[in-house]
Amino acid sequence: MKELLAPLKTHNRSVLTLLLLAAFIWSLFSVTWSRDLVHAGGWTTTVQIFEGLIKPDLSPEIVALAIESSWVTVVYAVTGMTVALIIAFIFGILGSGVLFSSHAVRVIAMGIFRGILATIRAIHELVWALLFVAVIGLSPYAAVFALGIPYGGILGRILADMINDVPKEPIQALRAAGASRLQCLLYGYLPLVRANMISYTMYRFECSIRSSAIMSFVGLGGLGYQIQLSLSDLNYDEVWTFLFFLIAIVVLIDAWSNSLRKRLVL
Amino acid sequence: MHIVEINNLSKQFGRKIAISSLSFDIKKGETVALIGPSGAGKSTLLNILAGSIPPDTGIYLLDGKPIQQYKNRRELANKIGVIRQQFDLVPALPAIHNVLAGRLGEWGFFKSMLSLFVPQDKQAAANALQRVGLLDKMHDQTSRMSGGEQQRVAMARLLVQNPEVILADEPVASLDPARAEDILEMLTKLVAEEKQTLVMSLHSVEYAKKYFSRIVALRDGEIFFDLPTEDITKEHLTGLYSLKELSQE
Ligand SMILES: Nc1ncnc2c1ncn2[C@@H]1O[C@H](COP(=O)(O)OP(=O)(O)OP(=O)(O)O)[C@@H](O)[C@H]1O
Ligand SMILES: [Mg+2]
Repeated sequence: MKELLAPLKTHNRSVLTLLLLAAFIWSLFSVTWSRDLVHAGGWTTTVQIFEGLIKPDLSPEIVALAIESSWVTVVYAVTGMTVALIIAFIFGILGSGVLFSSHAVRVIAMGIFRGILATIRAIHELVWALLFVAVIGLSPYAAVFALGIPYGGILGRILADMINDVPKEPIQALRAAGASRLQCLLYGYLPLVRANMISYTMYRFECSIRSSAIMSFVGLGGLGYQIQLSLSDLNYDEVWTFLFFLIAIVVLIDAWSNSLRKRLVL
Repeated sequence: MHIVEINNLSKQFGRKIAISSLSFDIKKGETVALIGPSGAGKSTLLNILAGSIPPDTGIYLLDGKPIQQYKNRRELANKIGVIRQQFDLVPALPAIHNVLAGRLGEWGFFKSMLSLFVPQDKQAAANALQRVGLLDKMHDQTSRMSGGEQQRVAMARLLVQNPEVILADEPVASLDPARAEDILEMLTKLVAEEKQTLVMSLHSVEYAKKYFSRIVALRDGEIFFDLPTEDITKEHLTGLYSLKELSQE
């Protein structure tokens, strides 16, 4: 039986690829590509949007507003990432199982903590935002936790995986030198994953800026909120001002993370 | 008198017998080279001696006490230290922390955490690095060091750990001959100074004869010969390696 299944297994991947491809093509057909899909006044709007792109509104009030909203967006993202890192650190380390000596405990703990991480990241930050706004109202805490919890789930999962993928020789050597499991974490696992974890966190930080901006659509202030207001007033020149600020933040973070990464190369 | 006593030790991996009924003793202060063809069981034996894998059968007394009774890692770390190829260092740490890792058995959690920020026992680390000739590289990232330098950092860690027995599994396998001799010379000298016992697996018979007082040859998990270095003749060695060819056919 096993011999019969073996060739199937090697073809599994191509079968899966074909299936996914078929699903994709089928989904194209299930969209009704009729004219009503396209906005009737689309052309004039497009022209207006491009005009805004060339002449963004740089009046002092709008620029001041953009700076203030950028600040709010960045603050939400930074605080949210701090919460995320705390969650990731605690649950990621526990979910990697390296702190538990008994095999049974390790398996159970990995199941529980990785399960928690999977659950909190399965829910999108916007959904978390709506939930928190419903519970605690339009407070900054809603934004911070809405960001921090799902990002903590993502970062925690990555941290746990990285810890599990660490080469085993250095850890064995530490054990042989008399190190406890916690000491192995300090002198082995954490330094071994540090560089990768920092660059992944920086990448996620960039994403969190975007999320933070988007999240303010639910009314939590920040760049997204301003974009929404200007959009509903059809002030595309203002929209572009805010968008340029958003792009600038992301570019700055990218530059920062590049310089960090350079210093951290192994 | 005997720091290591093993009797009828065997170890099997699935159907493969890696070690079969080995018995021998090692005196305090001896330097033993383990030689033998690939797959002879040298690494398996060293891993059992280090306590990192349990034997299937047999008795292993370390300093008169069965290895299973060393429940405490720290107690074991005082008796036995291990050095392998240079991959057992943490590349992302500066040399000093890799060296101070030899102290982890004695330190508690908070002291070891503090040490990552304010190195504790810095003097011990400096002395050890001085003895392996790397004092000036104390704060260098380990990953930026050459293979030979990394192996010397590992030796400095052993100096800080200061176990009674040092087990070395092909510590010079990935070094060029000049570097390899450097490391062997340094390690055997340090072991003599500290009155430690050394057991090292090697692929080079020449180095085994040059640096060790006793040579144990393994073949197919059994002892092929176990002799003081000066008693070893060409016949012994051709026997060891020609048999290897026979068994491979
Ligand atoms: N973890 C393991 N699982 C299965 N088989 C193993 C394992 N470790 C060792 N073996 C087998 O046991 C035998 C002895 O291996 P060992 O690594 O001790 O040899 P060695 O003398 O160190 O060889 P080399 O000189 O190549 O390092 C080999 O046949 C090997 O395939
Ligand atoms: Mg080996």
